[in-house]
Amino acid sequence: MDSLVERFIEKATLAGAEVHSFSGLNEAVDFLKSFVKENKIAEGLISMDLKKGGPVAEAFPHLETKTEAMWVGAGLVAADFGIAETGTLVHFDQGDEEKKAWTLPDICLCLLERAKIVPDLEAIAPQIAGHLARTGSPSPQVSLVTGPSRTADIENQLTIGVHGPARLVILLT
Amino acid sequence: MKTIDPALKKVLQEFSRSFRVKRQNVLKGYDFEELRTALAALKDDALDRNAELLDQFEARARAHGSVVLRARDSAEANAQILKVCRDHGVDKLVKSKSMVSEETGLNDFLAGHHIEARETDLGEWIVQLAAERPTHMVMPAIHMTRRDVAALFSEKMGRPISDDIGGLVRLARGEIRKEIFAAGAGLTGANALIAENGAVMLVTNEGNGRLVTSVPPVHIVLTSIEKVVPTTADTLTLLRLLPRNATGQSITSCVSFIAGPHRGPQYIILLDNHRSEMLADPRFRETLRCIKCSACLNVCPVYQIIGGEEYSHIYMGGIGTLFTAWIHGLKASKELAKVCLRCHRCEEYCATKIPIADLITALAGRIKKTHGAPVWKRFAFDGIMASPGLHKTAFRAARTARRIISKEDGFSRKLPAWMKRYDRFRALPAPASKSFARLFKKEFGMKGAKGGEPGATKGGAKGTVTIFGGCLVEHFYPEIGLAAARVLRKLGYEVKAAPGLCCGFPPANAGFDKAAAEAFGALLEKIEIGRPVVTVCPTCTTMLAKRGAEITGSEKAKALAANVIPFSRFVAEHEKEAVEHLTCEGRPALRATYHDSCHHKNLLKAERCSRALVEAALRAPITEMDEPDACCGFAGTFSVDNPEISAELLADKLEAIERTGATVVAMDCPGCLLQIRGGCKRKGLAVRAAHTAELLEEALK
Repeated sequence: MDSLVERFIEKATLAGAEVHSFSGLNEAVDFLKSFVKENKIAEGLISMDLKKGGPVAEAFPHLETKTEAMWVGAGLVAADFGIAETGTLVHFDQGDEEKKAWTLPDICLCLLERAKIVPDLEAIAPQIAGHLARTGSPSPQVSLVTGPSRTADIENQLTIGVHGPARLVILLT
Repeated sequence: MKTIDPALKKVLQEFSRSFRVKRQNVLKGYDFEELRTALAALKDDALDRNAELLDQFEARARAHGSVVLRARDSAEANAQILKVCRDHGVDKLVKSKSMVSEETGLNDFLAGHHIEARETDLGEWIVQLAAERPTHMVMPAIHMTRRDVAALFSEKMGRPISDDIGGLVRLARGEIRKEIFAAGAGLTGANALIAENGAVMLVTNEGNGRLVTSVPPVHIVLTSIEKVVPTTADTLTLLRLLPRNATGQSITSCVSFIAGPHRGPQYIILLDNHRSEMLADPRFRETLRCIKCSACLNVCPVYQIIGGEEYSHIYMGGIGTLFTAWIHGLKASKELAKVCLRCHRCEEYCATKIPIADLITALAGRIKKTHGAPVWKRFAFDGIMASPGLHKTAFRAARTARRIISKEDGFSRKLPAWMKRYDRFRALPAPASKSFARLFKKEFGMKGAKGGEPGATKGGAKGTVTIFGGCLVEHFYPEIGLAAARVLRKLGYEVKAAPGLCCGFPPANAGFDKAAAEAFGALLEKIEIGRPVVTVCPTCTTMLAKRGAEITGSEKAKALAANVIPFSRFVAEHEKEAVEHLTCEGRPALRATYHDSCHHKNLLKAERCSRALVEAALRAPITEMDEPDACCGFAGTFSVDNPEISAELLADKLEAIERTGATVVAMDCPGCLLQIRGGCKRKGLAVRAAHTAELLEEALK
């Protein structure tokens, strides 16, 4: 396997993410179907890009309209890049709906193409800078997500899922 | 300053220990020195161009549709936020951690105008619920146990809540999320502002930053002017160091770059609050390089003993003292400045190489100028030390009174009850019967020189060196200076002694620059500078090798500085072979441990030399104690200003020494020796505290 991908998997796992590797999209879709069943996901948030349809969106029961839901079981999103150095998912946000799909649910499922894994943040510095320089609506954001939401605020004990997802599941395709 | 309860001290010390382990792990494979040098240079450049970068940031942020407001002080920033709330009908505001809002006292201000400001960072939320103040920059509720938190939640929820941490966090998750969805505005700070595109960078772990910026309709950023950097790439440099140095993570779980408003309007408030004045001050502007990682706090020995509530006005610890002096006024920093040990440990960890301890010293000088100094310091420094003749007479008088003061076991009699706090925890030494200068002259002087023993070279085949003892050696521990002299003579050097004058460090350290310049100047006049000046006190060494030249600016001081070298380094570097071939037949190997004197390790970086010498001299590897580089609590006038903290630091040090089972504790500083030897005496420990030079001399006999 590509050493960059290996390093990404190692670091993401170290940060508390669950990483599943697939040979192709079909395999990932199969996994998604059984994951939805196993975790009894009735409806979740899905990112805009995926909303457009296709086998992935079909495998994930998602809310069609904009939602103000406070509690959501799961979210399905796609990352623009993966950072091998730290196991980080990079996402160029398209709007606050997008950010909510990443942040509100208890479980965040994220698709990432192996080819999008780069060594470090510096490797995509121009893309980040370029995205942030764009004007217009919605205004640009770039998010770096590494592992589930965490806190050590009580007795310095690492505890998962304080505000954002308690589980971050990465599907590598 | 009050010390905290032992349970909390244990928590803070354990936190400090685990932080250092985690940090070391995530820095593996990285050159910390290189990273922080780059970051410091980047911040310096950004500070140089601060006004220009702020204008650029403002223009770019406006182009994204953000409203950018400048605030001169806390009152103005608070008023601006109030207006935003009123304009948008906000009666509840949620906050993701913002140190600046604590600086401006925003929560209380808004409460006074019937607007509720709720923290969402778990630790801050707990502290707010308990109506307390954060006690750590990154770990606000570190002073509370899980039982405290459970009791608090039970009281607020009106039902019993178990102290399982997972359960407590889940409960908080639900409660806080309800608050976020009910809020009309979300307020965050910023870890950086990017001039080239007007974006704000936020670094969080919990994910509350993402919720606070995406759920409520209005987003307010309250931040300060020094956060602006030129480019996106600069923030990546910052990002490589910030989480590693803050919490020992390679990156935090959420980092957001936000350029422009999202759901509704976005207001960015850039607070000055005297930072422009700080920026214009050539001495103190470095402080603004701070990235608020709190590593300095995590390793501060004093913080672990008095805690964040005592050791803060708003901003905590040594770096906090500096910010306090500018933001909240010199007077607010007066008591805080006294509790800094000047041990320089924080500087080993600082992400942007801020000379925190030296800046505290400079601050002490300004405080003294504006608010005066206590009578005893004025008497000791301006009265006695500024006049070398008087200084000498005072010690001569003490020697004459030795019979009365001393118990003839090297220690002084106990102090009277009203002064008990100064020698309760450590016996104070008795003045030596004869000064180092006199004893040296007797043994090495032109007349009556003993020399002559086998192996000693009379003429000094390797050249001449000057031994500088310093006040403690001159008046209390002449045996250390004599030991160093004997070792050097044995190794083939001719030795001379520097005049027995004070180097001027104590007044310099207390902000008495004039007295320091006079004491140092008197020494400079008499000392010969054309040859190596070998020192046995790291604190004097820093004065001779750096501070003295800074204070006087004289060429002779610079020449002296270039020739000053600590005894351990001189021997370890120049006499490597002799040390390796030390044959100490018949001497049993002793179990020894080594205490790192702050200035010896953190400033002179000579601790490895000393360890090698001690191991060679005692024919045994050193048994390292826990935290060998934790300050023993002497720190000169510190132990007079803060005897209670000094006692706590010493107690920890003695326990660490005891745990090694060593019978000898070696060190390189006569001040540490005073503290540790006196502590062993009071505690009844059968451990010998000795200077490296003494151990080496015994090995060479």
